[in-house]
Amino acid sequence: MIARMSYFVTAALSGALFGAGLYVSQMVDPLKVLRFLDFTAIPSGGWDPSLAFVIVPAILVMFIAVRIGRHRQAPLFDTRFHEPDKTRIDRPLVIGAVLFGIGWGMSGICPGPAISLLAFQPDGLFYFLLAMLAGSLIGGFLTGSPRLEKGQAA
Amino acid sequence: MESFTPLTAALGGTLIGLASAVLWLGNGRIAGISGIFGQLLPAGRSVLWRLVFLAALVAAAWASARLFPQLGAGGVEPSVLAAPPAGWSIPMPLWLIVAGLLTGIGTRIGNGCTSGHGVCGIARLSTRSFVAVAIFFSVAILTVTLTGIV
Repeated sequence: MIARMSYFVTAALSGALFGAGLYVSQMVDPLKVLRFLDFTAIPSGGWDPSLAFVIVPAILVMFIAVRIGRHRQAPLFDTRFHEPDKTRIDRPLVIGAVLFGIGWGMSGICPGPAISLLAFQPDGLFYFLLAMLAGSLIGGFLTGSPRLEKGQAA
Repeated sequence: MESFTPLTAALGGTLIGLASAVLWLGNGRIAGISGIFGQLLPAGRSVLWRLVFLAALVAAAWASARLFPQLGAGGVEPSVLAAPPAGWSIPMPLWLIVAGLLTGIGTRIGNGCTSGHGVCGIARLSTRSFVAVAIFFSVAILTVTLTGIV
């Protein structure tokens, strides 16, 4: 029972850190993200490289956590690490990344910021969120796995 | 370049890294938002922790905007979504629906987004994630260039 409580407390703590990080880094601002993706602004000096400063420390902290995890049998509140078991570079991976790249470039919104934007309720957000959920369902049926396999990435 | 904010970006990135570390070392789960969100339907056994995570994420974004308005979006709440490029005469809802559909389908069949592949996958030195990140970053940059949306 206590272990189960701890599991949810951990999920809440992680979600809270994530939401704070998205706000502080300004990843919640779609226009900020688009100004990072707009490489045509590099020659004029108008390019905003801030988001590179978001992803690097995020990866470094997680890299250390992964190293620590490799020395342990299991996480604190579960019986195993749900490590993705796919390793092949296959067609769904490539096509999926292309489609997501188009959606991200059109909107400046990736899934984390999309959810956190609920806190600010900009006009039209629900169109994006409902379409994203529907898209995930469609993608699940397209690949014949309406439910994600245990331990897949993300 | 008054919009360049390396310090708050690094602070936010560190918080996102800590969020991923906590979920990994605590529950053995990857903090990939597309997976956590996309897995809500069809609802399965482990839907509750996902709801807890997402609710905390929204609440914390809301709270930090009020507690630390000088950080982050600089006191300005992010209330504007990207509009379709000028001159394309595409209605805003349609633009957002297409972008959302592509994001949902793409992250599902590609097994991850900026957080799952970009942060957790690269930290795990996953070749699949390196490939996915290289592709979706390049395509996003190309999309912004071709649409001239900014």
